[in-house]
Amino acid sequence: MPALETAATVQDAQADLQQAQPGGRESAALPLTLPRPPLNERMPVLRALRSADAALRERAQQLLRPDHRIGRAFDNIILALIVLSVASVLVEATPGLPAWTRGPFRIEEIVVVAVFSFEYLLRLVAADSRLGFIFSFQGLVDLISIAPFYLAGVDTRAVRALRLLRLLRILKLQTHILENTVAVRTRELAEKNASLEQAQAQIKAELDVARALQIAILPASFPARPGCDGAARMIPATTMGGDFYDFIELPDGHIGLVMADVSGKGVPAAFFMAVARTNLRELALHHAEPGACLAETNDVLCAQNPMELFVTVFYCVLDTITGVLRYANGGHNPPYVRRADGTVEALSGAGGLVLGAMPGMSYPDHTLQLLPGDRLVLYTDGVTEAFNPREEAYGTERLIAEVRANGDDGAAALVERICHSVSVFAGGAPQSDDITLTVLSWSAPH
Amino acid sequence: MKLNIETHGGTTLAIAEGRLDFGAANGFQKQLEQELAGAGSSAGGARAPVAALILDCGGVDYVSSAGLRVFLVVARAAKRDGVAFSICALQPAVREVFDLSGFSRIITVHADRASALAQAGHSSA
Repeated sequence: MPALETAATVQDAQADLQQAQPGGRESAALPLTLPRPPLNERMPVLRALRSADAALRERAQQLLRPDHRIGRAFDNIILALIVLSVASVLVEATPGLPAWTRGPFRIEEIVVVAVFSFEYLLRLVAADSRLGFIFSFQGLVDLISIAPFYLAGVDTRAVRALRLLRLLRILKLQTHILENTVAVRTRELAEKNASLEQAQAQIKAELDVARALQIAILPASFPARPGCDGAARMIPATTMGGDFYDFIELPDGHIGLVMADVSGKGVPAAFFMAVARTNLRELALHHAEPGACLAETNDVLCAQNPMELFVTVFYCVLDTITGVLRYANGGHNPPYVRRADGTVEALSGAGGLVLGAMPGMSYPDHTLQLLPGDRLVLYTDGVTEAFNPREEAYGTERLIAEVRANGDDGAAALVERICHSVSVFAGGAPQSDDITLTVLSWSAPH
Repeated sequence: MKLNIETHGGTTLAIAEGRLDFGAANGFQKQLEQELAGAGSSAGGARAPVAALILDCGGVDYVSSAGLRVFLVVARAAKRDGVAFSICALQPAVREVFDLSGFSRIITVHADRASALAQAGHSSA
C-alpha cells in the first residue's frame, strides 16, 4: 500500500475495521482461505478489472499525496475554495443584495461543487477501503458539502456552511505531513545508526586483530637456564596500549630483559611499540653494554617517529652464571630487587631520557650483583596506577609490600600474586593502562 | 585541564590546572599550540610575536606519559618557532615524573613562577 498517507485518518482506519470488507486487509491477513484459488484467478475479466482498479487507485493516491508538489497544490486549491464558498454563503445571506449578484454566485457555486465533486471521487478511488471512506467522518462531511447542490429545491445555504468542517481535513493534513516528515527522518537516522554501528564493529574487529598480533609478539617463555627463571604477564587495558616486555638470548649466553611503555594509546602506540621492540631486539645482539644499546635504539627511533611518540625502556643484561646484572634506564620506573632477607629496594642510579624524544642522548650503565634467592621485579606504571572504583591508585607501597611478603615464591608464582593483588584492589574497575609485570629469579647454578 | 593565559610583555604565561592524562592530552596540546601561534590573541587585534612561553604547572597534580608527550611536542614546536619554552612550579609527584623520564634534562624547569618570569624577561630583553 504505497500511499496510505492520503486518506488514512483515524476515523478512516476505525471505519475500515468495522467494515470487515471482503478482499481487503482482513483476507490478506488470513492465508488459510487459500486452498480454493481466489476468484480473480478463475475469472480473467474480473482479474483485469481488478488490476485496472488497482492502477487507478495508485494513480489517485499519487495525486493526493500531501508530501508532493501536485498534492500540495491540490490541497491549497481546495482550501481556497472552501474559504471562498463559506464566505460567499455569508455574503449571500446579507439582506438587500442587488439581484445582479445572483448570477456570479451561482457560477461560483457550480465551480466549487464541480471541484469538490472531483476531489470526492478522487478520494473515493484512492481509498484503500471505499465503503470505509464513504462512512468516515471526513467522507460524510465531504459528501454533505456537495450533495445539496444535486438535490434541487432544497435551500442549501445552511448546509453549505458546513463546508467549514472541511477545514478540519486541512489541519489534519498538516499534522500528517509533519508526522510523515518525522517518520522519514527517524528512518534515515536509524539507517545511519545501523551503518555507523556496522563500521564501528568492523573497526573493533580490526583493532582486536591488531591487539592479538601485538600480544603475540611478546615472548611466550623465558630462555631455559639453570638456576634462573623468569615470568611475565600483561593485562591489556580497555584501549590498545603500548606496554611490552622481552627476553632476549644474547650471543655471549647472557639474557637481556626489557620492560617498556610507549606514551599514548591506540593504534599509533601499538605501531610504535612494534617498531621499538623490533629495533631494540636487533640492536641488543650488537651491544654488550645496555646503555650503548639504548643510545642507538633511541637514535633509530628518533629517525622514524612521525607521531612524536616516545617509549620508556628499562633494559638489563644478566650474566646467568655470576648473577651480575648490568642495566640502563631510559625514563622507566626503576625495578625493585627483593633480597633473600626480605628487604626490597628500587634499583638506583641515574637514568636517561625516554627513547624517541631526542637523538644523541646517552644512557649511563649501572651494575647490580644478584645474590642467590634474589628476585628482580620489573613493572610498568599500569601496575602502580591501577585505580579502584574509589579512584585510588594501587601505588608503590602496596607493590613493595606484596613483593616483600611473597618474594620467596618462584618467578611465575610471584607474578600471579602481584597481578591477583592488583585485580582485587581494582575491584573490576576498567583500567585505562596496560598492566605489565616481569619477575626474574636467580640462584647460583651448581 | 584548565588553561589561563596571561601576557607579560613578550612572554606568554600559561597557567594549567587539572590532571594531564590521556583523555586531556589532545585538547591541552591544541591549546598550547594555539598560544604558540599567537592565535589565542584578543578579537581582531594582532599580538606581538611570542618571545617566551612559560607553562605554570602549579595546579597540575598528575601527568601521564601521554601528558609528557604534550610537553615534548610543545617544546619542539617552540624551538622550531624560536620561542623560549619553560615549565615552572611542578608539584613534587610531577617533578618526580619529569626527573624519572629524563624530561627535566631537555626542558627548562624553574622552581616557581617568579624565577621563570625573571629568566624570560632577562633573556628576551
